[in-house]
Amino acid sequence: MEKYSINIDSLKNLVVELIEKNWNVVSSERSGIRYSTLKDANDFYISSKTKPSNISVKQFFFPKTEPLFFFKKEENGIILADPVFAEENNLLLGIKPCDAAAIPIISKVFNWDYKDEFFNKRVENSVVIGLSCNYQDSECFCTSVGLSQSSTKGSDIFFSTVDDNNFEVQVVTEKGKKFIEVNKKYFAPLENESPIKDAYPPKFEYLKAKEWLDKNFENEYWNKAGELCLGCAQCAFVCPTCHCFDIVDEDCGYDCGRRVKNWDACQFGLFTKHASGHNPRDVQTKRYRQRVNHKFKYYMDKFDEILCTGCGRCSRGCPAGINIGNIVEEISSLH
Amino acid sequence: MAEEKFEPKITAFVCNWCTYTGADLAGTSRLKQQPNARLIRVPCTGRIDPVFILKAFESGADGVLISGCHPNDCHYNTGNFHARRRWIFFKDLLDFVGIDESRLHFSWVSASEGKKWVDVINGVINKVREQGPFINYKKTNPLEVTKVDFEKGEVA
Amino acid sequence: MQTVIEVAKKLFEEKKVYCVVGYTPDGGNKTKPFIAYSVEDTDKLVFNHYAINNLAVYLNRLTKKGPVGVVAKGCDIRAIVGLIQENQFKKEDVFIIGMNCNGVVEDKYDEFDKENTQIKCKYCNIRTPHLYDELAGELQDFEIPEDPQGPLMEKILKMTPDERWEFWKAEFDKCIRCYACRQVCPMCYCEQCIADKSVPQWIETSATIRGNFSWNLIRAFHMSGRCVGCHECERVCPQEIPISLLTRKMGMLAGKEFGYRHGMAVDQPTLVGNYNLSDREDFIK
Repeated sequence: MEKYSINIDSLKNLVVELIEKNWNVVSSERSGIRYSTLKDANDFYISSKTKPSNISVKQFFFPKTEPLFFFKKEENGIILADPVFAEENNLLLGIKPCDAAAIPIISKVFNWDYKDEFFNKRVENSVVIGLSCNYQDSECFCTSVGLSQSSTKGSDIFFSTVDDNNFEVQVVTEKGKKFIEVNKKYFAPLENESPIKDAYPPKFEYLKAKEWLDKNFENEYWNKAGELCLGCAQCAFVCPTCHCFDIVDEDCGYDCGRRVKNWDACQFGLFTKHASGHNPRDVQTKRYRQRVNHKFKYYMDKFDEILCTGCGRCSRGCPAGINIGNIVEEISSLH
Repeated sequence: MAEEKFEPKITAFVCNWCTYTGADLAGTSRLKQQPNARLIRVPCTGRIDPVFILKAFESGADGVLISGCHPNDCHYNTGNFHARRRWIFFKDLLDFVGIDESRLHFSWVSASEGKKWVDVINGVINKVREQGPFINYKKTNPLEVTKVDFEKGEVA
Repeated sequence: MQTVIEVAKKLFEEKKVYCVVGYTPDGGNKTKPFIAYSVEDTDKLVFNHYAINNLAVYLNRLTKKGPVGVVAKGCDIRAIVGLIQENQFKKEDVFIIGMNCNGVVEDKYDEFDKENTQIKCKYCNIRTPHLYDELAGELQDFEIPEDPQGPLMEKILKMTPDERWEFWKAEFDKCIRCYACRQVCPMCYCEQCIADKSVPQWIETSATIRGNFSWNLIRAFHMSGRCVGCHECERVCPQEIPISLLTRKMGMLAGKEFGYRHGMAVDQPTLVGNYNLSDREDFIK
């Protein structure tokens, strides 16, 4: 794996050049709430010490609302038109490992029985620069789900902090290699390696939790786990790996409309309501059971991946203070 | 080259028993009114949920008028009293969010007030024409937000 | 002065309730909601500056199975009384453990300090609640600096209409329609929310500017005269949009125009559910 060095000033100049070439450069906002596309190169912010943003980087690959096609009624019939998909180049800079790792995880479901060209196009057009993480709190548990503070999964290039102004650069994928070649004037040969930080110990043993989940769908435990859940979708929407969506037709005028794909969540009461009126997940405890099972059992059974990166956003944001890391920890110690 | 002069589109929600009948009287009396308003008949102003007003703006209205029976004359006794209270709140909310107050109008027009109806609707149309098109809301239309080229589309 | 655990134990011993909804430590220095079902469970109850949640949101569901005890601060009790005013359950169904409150911390801070209390504490006059079945907790003698509506409300009231539109447009652009604001609000109890109604679709479900304006405005309107100012909606918003400004503006109007404050007395008639022959109509032609 080739390595280089870069300092903060060169990085800033790289950002300036890319913005001039009309690249979309995405970085964390200083407020810590979200990642967003930079309008001004001076706004760029990179830090490994901040806690994960309230909302993940998922929206750049799988936006909260995405028109699939438009239709318009005209004299000679109904015209279908695709939205104009601009040829964009995106640089996602300073992405936490728990965000970047989500991209290959959800790529599997978006390329399973049907290839989601919207998602794939966006991934293709993006270069992801991950950043090693120097933060930990009681909601994080990335080391329990096979990741770590220096995991390069999902990144094309990976920065590890040497100090506040200097980064060790690792090339992870071919795409990353090409990016560095094109912009090589900003990267210097490797000077200092990043001090290796020991990953913090895992909170739980995933395999023990999976074993319990495999056999305990009807267990009374679920009545307590989801008891306080209010049924909003915050956990699903801020999560980097949750990927459920709803497809609806909505209007753009009296003679035209569009079919649009929106985020949806299994925590909503209406998510599983059938047209007959029957709802197999009619109470919140059943819906919460679904969430834990999907993330820690079903996705593993189907795609060999845990549908969770341990970022802890859902727990930090939950209005009712439910901590999914604690729940899986409890489960892993049940027999 | 003559520039097309802006003609506002007004949506008027009118109650069946008073204002709709009053507007009908204006018609049978051959009173002249500007053609910019589209009337939507509801049984009573009490039926009107403010979401209708927002839907009207979303659909391209530059101004909205709501008109019903005078207090104490409501066909259902108290519908317009409930509506009146709601309007006090909704008006304030729209003002707080930056929608000019001259986009939303209210009136009491009875079944015999054909002349008043014409005065009210002409007044509203003139006021909104002065304000200009409701560009803020028009810019929220999805066709303004995403580029679509219907020329390149296929006929289904 | 008795503690919350003492009162809760009494309730279970006298079989007055089948559960008590309160707060329990979350493993850090903050708290999270907790439902105690037995005398033993009550040992886990606490009350302090980090008892942020409004527990009235759970009452609609829990009172269906029997009488419920609830640990509540003044602002939460306004919500409970508001729900009783709106006939969601009866006063007999709920046993209110009123807590003397010394302010709660703004969620984003880790440590409590007089300066970082929530904005609602800055204009609270019900630190000893106005209504309760039993009172617990010690009232500390310190002044929370007064700031009726906060600097952001003042700033918006001074803006021109176009500036206000741009401000709200920038805020609503961020909304992801997670409906956390709706689910955490005790007054949002409709079994089918108007946003979920699809025949016809009044409020666009997509998280576009158009849909977000519609959703937030209609929710604020449905709260007019019913919002108790508990601030939970703003606390839970993942995008940190200042949505409580909208519902609070409606609350300010209710106070100014009608002298009405929701949730102060159990038998007070609701504001928008009623009318007065002398309501203002100077804006009606």
